[in-house]
Amino acid sequence: MGSCAECSTWVYGGQLTNGCPPVYTSSSHIVVLKFAGLVGHNRKISSLKIGGRRRRRMIVNAAAATEKLQNGIAELYDESSGIWEDIWGDHMHHGFYDPGSDVSESDHRLAQIRMIEESLRFASVSDNSLQKPRKIVDVGCGIGGSSRYLARKYEAECLGITLSPVQAQRAQALAAAQGLVGKVSFQVADALNQPFPDGKFDLVWSMESGEHMPDKAKFVNELARVAAPGGTIIIITWCHRDLSPSEESLTPQETALLNKICDAYYLPAWFSIADYIKLLQSLSLEDIKAADWSEFVAPFWPAVIRSALTWRGITSLLRSGWKTMKGALAMPLMVEGYKKGLIKFAIITCRKPAS
Amino acid sequence: MRLLTHNMLSSNIKGVTNGFPLRIEAEKVVEKTVDFNADFLKNMFAKVEWNALVEASKTMGYFELPDNVESSMLESDEFLQKFHHALLELHLEEGALICPETGRKFPVSKGIPNMLLHEDEV
Repeated sequence: MGSCAECSTWVYGGQLTNGCPPVYTSSSHIVVLKFAGLVGHNRKISSLKIGGRRRRRMIVNAAAATEKLQNGIAELYDESSGIWEDIWGDHMHHGFYDPGSDVSESDHRLAQIRMIEESLRFASVSDNSLQKPRKIVDVGCGIGGSSRYLARKYEAECLGITLSPVQAQRAQALAAAQGLVGKVSFQVADALNQPFPDGKFDLVWSMESGEHMPDKAKFVNELARVAAPGGTIIIITWCHRDLSPSEESLTPQETALLNKICDAYYLPAWFSIADYIKLLQSLSLEDIKAADWSEFVAPFWPAVIRSALTWRGITSLLRSGWKTMKGALAMPLMVEGYKKGLIKFAIITCRKPAS
Repeated sequence: MRLLTHNMLSSNIKGVTNGFPLRIEAEKVVEKTVDFNADFLKNMFAKVEWNALVEASKTMGYFELPDNVESSMLESDEFLQKFHHALLELHLEEGALICPETGRKFPVSKGIPNMLLHEDEV
């Protein structure tokens, strides 16, 4: 590990001696590779006058960076899923709360279920027996909380994919324990290269996994590819605030805060809600809807922090591993990000055209 | 991995034009009872790639599925039971899924397929 000499961004893994993880500029969808000493910041890769060998090295470095990122994500979740499940249960996502309400510790599980229901409602997913989804993909499925919930709700088949073998195993064990073995299955796979033929899923579900995707365009492309004609795509993800028309990028302080969070949670890149909408429009997806739900998730991070500070929380963290502890220590940064209006909890939904 | 899942998996290695269906190399097949649900089966029937299911079930040691089907067969309880068994109760615990074009093996371990692609396959 080390930091890029120019931009202080942490480098994932010791192999990259002259590169930083790919980051998006806020105002464009082109991946910008920042290389210490090679190029200045925010220059688009197409305009770089770099000869063949250097360009190939950049591409090889980018592939190595992706693999490091994937390994980092897998290891983080291999390490931390058990402790999360022990304290919070099988849904690894934010709860949905009424703003200003008093929330007791027992409400969080219900809030997490409400998050799923509110998302389905926002996307107008029908539960009418003729129109409800029959085949569902859960992209970044964690230990399968959403998969099992959706499979049960719609009596549908649900396939989940995750980079973490530990999560896939646990997800499968929980499905077996809940009698859902015929309906849900879990695979170790990459959301950027989903192991499915085109157009098979009536519902494409990505609950808080988009943050991990280094190439948002590829991620959204894959969601669209595997969606059936007329199928619904639901993306619930962490975004940064939209830029104002006069802004080229976030402020240096904002970027620094996001970088620290990225480092702890293996988040390679942040998009704004506007960025996602533009991407979905470019793929000719229909009925695009988006909302900032930050006000409905406000109690969540403080509650997670409180749970980490309990005796059970602390002892579990100390036993878990460095990645998990680092993640726990970064939680106040999330609170700070939300408070500053920098981080947004976003839902973006759309439909694949029927023909 | 059940054959219901296998029926949805494909190899998307760069350059492969048709990565479906994946061939199966079965090292350990386990039969596990799953509750019979006729409605679920009838809903799945329309979306199942039948030839892929028949071939896969033979690899797993089950030869009862007819090669050709039509939806009227869904009225037959005997057919539904065979369909149910092949689709949901044959479980590949250990083995591999093989890309039909490149021969690349995707390992299946403890019932979970690992479909991650290598750097050069993307």
